[in-house]
Amino acid sequence: MSFFDDEEILEDFLVEAGEILEQLSEQLVQLEKQPEDKNLLNAIFRGFHTVKGGAGFLQLTPMVDCCHVTENLFDNLRNGKRQVTPELMDIVLQALDAVNNMFAQIKERMPPEPASDELLQALQVLANGDDLAGKGTQAHDLSVASRATANDAVAAEADSGSDDMTDEEFDQLLAALDSADFESEAENRASAPVESAAGADDEITDDEFEALLDQLQGASADQEPSADQEPSAGKEPSANKEPSAGKEPSADKEPAAKSSDDITEDEFEALLDQLQSGSKTSPESADAPPDTPKPVLKAESDPGATQAPNAASSSTPNAAPGPAAIDQAPVAETTVRVDTRRLDDIMNMVGELVLVRNRLVRIGSTAADEMLSKAVANLDVVTADLQTSVMKTRMQPIKKVFGRFPRVVRDLARSLKKDVVLELHGEDTDLDKNLVEALADPLVHLVRNAVDHGIETPDKREAGGKPRQGTILLAAEQEGDHILLTISDDGNGMDPDMLRGKAVEKGLMDRDAADRLSNSECFDLIFAPGFSTKTEVSDVSGRGVGMDVVKTKITQLNGSVFIDSKPGEGTRIEIKVPLTLAIMPTLMILVGDQAFALPLASVSEIFNLDLNGTHVVDGQQVVTVRDKALPLFHLRRWLTNNAPHGSSEQGTEANVVIVSVGAQRVGFVVDTLIGQEEVVIKPLGRMLHGTPGMAGATITGDGRIAVILDVPGLLKRYAA
Amino acid sequence: MADVKKQENDQVLQWVTFQLENETYGVDVMVVKEVLKFQDIAPVPGAPGYVMGIINIRGTVISVINTRCRFGLPDREPDDNTRIVIIEIGQHIIGIVVDSVAEVVYLKRSEIETPPQVNKDDSARFIQGVCHRDDQLLILVELDKLLSEEELSELDH
Repeated sequence: MSFFDDEEILEDFLVEAGEILEQLSEQLVQLEKQPEDKNLLNAIFRGFHTVKGGAGFLQLTPMVDCCHVTENLFDNLRNGKRQVTPELMDIVLQALDAVNNMFAQIKERMPPEPASDELLQALQVLANGDDLAGKGTQAHDLSVASRATANDAVAAEADSGSDDMTDEEFDQLLAALDSADFESEAENRASAPVESAAGADDEITDDEFEALLDQLQGASADQEPSADQEPSAGKEPSANKEPSAGKEPSADKEPAAKSSDDITEDEFEALLDQLQSGSKTSPESADAPPDTPKPVLKAESDPGATQAPNAASSSTPNAAPGPAAIDQAPVAETTVRVDTRRLDDIMNMVGELVLVRNRLVRIGSTAADEMLSKAVANLDVVTADLQTSVMKTRMQPIKKVFGRFPRVVRDLARSLKKDVVLELHGEDTDLDKNLVEALADPLVHLVRNAVDHGIETPDKREAGGKPRQGTILLAAEQEGDHILLTISDDGNGMDPDMLRGKAVEKGLMDRDAADRLSNSECFDLIFAPGFSTKTEVSDVSGRGVGMDVVKTKITQLNGSVFIDSKPGEGTRIEIKVPLTLAIMPTLMILVGDQAFALPLASVSEIFNLDLNGTHVVDGQQVVTVRDKALPLFHLRRWLTNNAPHGSSEQGTEANVVIVSVGAQRVGFVVDTLIGQEEVVIKPLGRMLHGTPGMAGATITGDGRIAVILDVPGLLKRYAA
Repeated sequence: MADVKKQENDQVLQWVTFQLENETYGVDVMVVKEVLKFQDIAPVPGAPGYVMGIINIRGTVISVINTRCRFGLPDREPDDNTRIVIIEIGQHIIGIVVDSVAEVVYLKRSEIETPPQVNKDDSARFIQGVCHRDDQLLILVELDKLLSEEELSELDH
């Protein structure tokens, strides 16, 4: 496909744009809360701009178009020409969705579908700043009615030319209007900002612009030369060049490096805007203590110390962008992108090293050699450290998943006409990359549920004596060797009796069984397939397919889910997942002379059983544990093919491991219990992949192989 | 004229020979990764019958095929000469158990004859060709087929 001929660049684009798009959705929602945040507006503008640049290079025209108008809109927003309104945000979020859709298509190597015309038009209208033009003419109309015709003519011109009107044109238009009726009072009000903006415009000649461009490119290609150029640039419209140049490498490094075409009008506009906003804000921000930028600049300017005083004096009014730029610069230099496969390889080798260490530790403990045991102990520590470090390289902050929730909650709350605020805690908690990805869907589901089922409508909340705004708290924290995720809301909670009634109604159990359920068992009912408490099905939820998927998914990750709820006070869902999927705590057992590993997450208890105390119910041997009859299975019969029924295992004593699969609990009779061991999971080869009941293999401390059992699969295969 | 041409094209191929029951077989040396002494094979419950189980080679879990079963030969207890030949086909690494491994032989392409078209014998399915050497018959095994046939039978399971 000629469309994507440069695969390598496309890959880079996908990675980079993917990250930016993720950030954008978060930033946009944040923007709604802090509409005046200039840094945020700038960041969003840069985000769209960078995506546009990359897309432009790859000739993804639909994406460029959509990003372009959005970018223009944000240009106006950050210049204060427009205010952020919820309606505007809806359009912008739609635009982001459109870009995301295109992005997904590009990922599939399909040509992106252009965004709908209505969306583009809506964006265009907003981006043109029509409101502002309207205000301007209105003001004139009020003061000097007789000039209405002239104004109308200009306004009409503005409308007709709206399709491609840039900021400069608009400014010119306004300026024309202003000069036409410069006596009127209205003029003064309308043109005051415009004039100062125009003044800033005048300060930059073409040559200066060229110089700036050169400097920018130099800066993005290599940061040190840019430092050298700094003083000369600092001379001119002084204050604002340095920060803008400092910011550029972080914001636009990619387009600048890849294609000089991208540094054209857009870039120029961006620069102008920075200059304009800089000169506008300078009166206020000049009050800022002049000593703040100095330490910052010291940090930045190791290569060119001479620059420091110069730049410090020139950049005082723009202290704010300075730190942001500096924050980003070192990050770009200290991070490396690594293929996860390579990390997996390293992980594998470290796993091997751990095994070798284990063997050495064994030998060391038997040989009475002090030197040896010291060395082994040393090796022990180093290997453990190495293992943790390698594990850490695979870790990602859960922010990656959490980041999408503000958007999810916002959209859902808006469509359901609810007032919901989402609080995020512990976003920096690190967990395994695979886990981060695997957790995304279940969490989205739970959060949607919380908004839809949990939080009541504002009126109902008020009637219940609660604040109109509902709160959903999403928290993550590390607890020992696992991660605890909590989703709690202050909504109407769940009523256990209602759940009992529902379960009977759905035919899941009879009235007696339902009445016997404890409250927490009632809450677990919502994980049953087909169980929905919503009477009507909406597009959000109510079909009753979600929660069982959530449960299955979490169980697959060796995690567990716990629900607590109080009617009228809210629901709290706790999810526990292991830190990593690569290493699994297991219970080692022997069946025959073969070692097997049971995932510890599914083991609930171990005890010694007198086999004479078992009963047979309906042809199935059962054991009674705390007044509950659990089916009992002999693993020897399942896992060895040469064990005749009722042979050696029919001693009177047996080791029983109780495992839980979902809500079901069963007992396994095993020959020997070895103990708990953390194992590195190795996939079975392709030939054996998918063997029922076998999850993988691992290598034990003595170098032997143990098969890791997959309990649900095992039961499905053998117990059915 | 034709003879000359044939000689030019007469590639020399290397084959690792091994014994199974009373026959000598050969596999292309390029697919053989290593030859191991017989070690304990961990059985995998529920696996197809011809898969003896898995072994650990420096941290990689490798499935081992019971070649005797595959070739329709009676089972036999492993002894000191028993070897596991690790072969790599495409992306997949598997082990095959053989009675013993003998040597690497050089064969010209012209020396290889097409196998006699016998009936649907179990072993015949994997045979690429035969070669007479020192009054012995060397059976050349086509390993790709060994694996692809496995997949077929795996589907049957």
